[in-house]
Amino acid sequence: MEQVLHDFISSLRSFGVRISTSESIDAFRAAELVGYEDREILKTSLSAALAKTAVEEEKFNECFALFFSFNSFPDNETEHILRADSQHPVSPLTRMLISQSHAELMASLMEAVEEAQTNEIKFFTQKGLYTHRILSHMGIDGLDRDIRLFRQENTPGSIQQAVQLQEARDRLFENVRGFVEREHDLYARAPTEDMMERYLKNAKLGELEKSDYDRMYVIVRKMAKRLSDIYSRRMRSFRRGHLDARKTLRKNMAYEGIPFDIKWKKKKIDRPDVIVICDVSRSVATVVRFFLLLVYSLNKAIIKTRSFIFCSNIIEASSVFDDYPVQEAVAKLQTGTGLDIELGSTDYGRAFLDFRKNWLDAVTRKTSVIILGDARNNYGDPQTATLSLIRKRSKRVIWLNPESRAFWGTGDSEMKKYLPYCNIARECNTLSHLERAIDSLL
Amino acid sequence: MKVLNDQVFSSVESIQQGFKDVEYICSKHIATTLYVAYNLEKPVLVEGPAGVGKTDLAQRAAAVLHLPLIRLQCYEGLDESKAIYEWKYGKQLLYTQILKDKLKDIIKGTNSLAESIKALHKYDDIFFSYEFLEPRPLLMALQQSGGAVLLIDEVDKADEEFEAFLLEALSDFQVSIPEIGTIQAECKPFVFLTSNNTKELSDALKRRCLHLFIPFPNAKMEREIIQIRVPEVSERLRRQLVAFIQQVRKLDIKKMPSISETIDWARVLLVLNAEKLDVETVKETLHVFLKFQEDIGVVKEHLPEMTSNAVKEGGE
Repeated sequence: MEQVLHDFISSLRSFGVRISTSESIDAFRAAELVGYEDREILKTSLSAALAKTAVEEEKFNECFALFFSFNSFPDNETEHILRADSQHPVSPLTRMLISQSHAELMASLMEAVEEAQTNEIKFFTQKGLYTHRILSHMGIDGLDRDIRLFRQENTPGSIQQAVQLQEARDRLFENVRGFVEREHDLYARAPTEDMMERYLKNAKLGELEKSDYDRMYVIVRKMAKRLSDIYSRRMRSFRRGHLDARKTLRKNMAYEGIPFDIKWKKKKIDRPDVIVICDVSRSVATVVRFFLLLVYSLNKAIIKTRSFIFCSNIIEASSVFDDYPVQEAVAKLQTGTGLDIELGSTDYGRAFLDFRKNWLDAVTRKTSVIILGDARNNYGDPQTATLSLIRKRSKRVIWLNPESRAFWGTGDSEMKKYLPYCNIARECNTLSHLERAIDSLL
Repeated sequence: MKVLNDQVFSSVESIQQGFKDVEYICSKHIATTLYVAYNLEKPVLVEGPAGVGKTDLAQRAAAVLHLPLIRLQCYEGLDESKAIYEWKYGKQLLYTQILKDKLKDIIKGTNSLAESIKALHKYDDIFFSYEFLEPRPLLMALQQSGGAVLLIDEVDKADEEFEAFLLEALSDFQVSIPEIGTIQAECKPFVFLTSNNTKELSDALKRRCLHLFIPFPNAKMEREIIQIRVPEVSERLRRQLVAFIQQVRKLDIKKMPSISETIDWARVLLVLNAEKLDVETVKETLHVFLKFQEDIGVVKEHLPEMTSNAVKEGGE
């Protein structure tokens, strides 16, 4: 039973539940304590020891159901009784199929599984390989030979025997394939997930499939959590600080120099105050989507954000994020439903002018202004003077451009003209780029 | 953990019964987790929405085991001097003043500064001994010779540093005091930690605990709870009010009514001599279990149909 629990834990790991050694020891002790008789009690005890969050518990339930589902060879409801009267000495596998001894078949399968080491399966492309390995270890070659021989005999009885054996062989194949599939589901998830995550982090956001979005959200959430963690640690160093000897002495002169009231050197870290101005025209839409997702996934205590979106005109979008959950809000901005925005041709000049007119007060010395867009202005007036004004008022202006550097300034791109007024201008079209941009803010 | 009422924790069923005797209905899920935690001597991290009886669970466990309950309420800024131990500074000062003359005696025969310090060194740690130690909840729980139930409430409200202090206490049941050394638990306490999930706890802390998630109870369990807590309420009214509360929890509201609020409502209805639910009574007592004006508004919108549903479900 110990081996079973071991396998269960490793498959749980591949489901993405992080389990430490001490936790698996707990699981073993818990299982030893409650025994294996009552499935529900066993499940609860293991779950208490292994799954530590709601998400993990969900995964645990899924894995538990899957793992403890396959425990017997599925009954094949064949009513034909295969005849064993044959001149040929038949292979062991053929004999097992003829006599329909499930226990023997199961044992043989398990032995073959052990031999083939299916729990090392990594990719779905290996399913065929492992199926073949198991079958050949069970002696499928002998079975095939027997079927061939029955056919060659060419008597009505032997033909029937061959047909039935062929059917039994197909069923066996199905069963083994099903088994391998389950093993894959149990053990191969983690590497595949890891690979997908690495791929998605560096994939061009504009080229992503819709089907990948869910996975992206998970990654974004993870990134946000990591950034939050790092930042909260920085905040802490602000609270501690070192002893400020001079201040302490001065303060305690009144107490004959006895240090009653101790003063600390404090490193003050401002909460970043961010204004995001996003172009939501189609060319940059996906990047904006994930950028806003990341910004708003960060803890509100850590970053203060006001967001503006523009296409032909500019509007403030902060309220949308107050009213709806982040994911929904981002989707809303994309389509512009219920918002007073014209989705015509992009006009950076007008957007900057309107921003200056209505919201310039919001920009203070502490504000970082982030502009997200490809700077393709449809040959309109770029209004660089306005951008320069914004820069003078703000702490810094960061321009994130989804186009790669080589394309800046080509065609109707005004990026080259805007460049002198940005403190930082970066190419930004993958999740990793986004993460780096946010990191530099904090 | 050697305690008087140990046999209650000898099986899952007896735990359920034992808790029922102290008026706490615990599901098989909860009972199993407690059983494992108690027998493996592991802390339990209890999570769940507000008002499902997380804190109560620890209190009842103390009652079942006939052990003292030591409670540590966490909040932002909680530090070791409030949670683990502190020196009795006042007592130390007072004693040094009183013993001034004594000190003179000690260094009387010495000729040089070095010698007098040497003489003093013999009594070195006298001011940093157990007599001057003020134990706070964590240390107190470890010092109980008969064992104790330690409740660390709302651990998610505490800072990260405090979580780090907890690690030592929870995994080895010991506390390190630099001046004295390490203090081991005489008898391992049964530890409950509760969290409302306002902040993600560190993995290290979670790893040391068994995890228990308590959701809102289903109708059957909630009825049982009402029956045991407010037994005077008639069977019909009990069914109706639980059915109503269960419907309210399905609505999109700010704060779900908790179990304690269901109990309160049952008591209020009892005082009002209500025989069964009707729209008027419900409307007038909504504020017992709804604490936001907006929530009351939402529920009022659906009031007639919800009431009739509840009445139907509860049986005429």
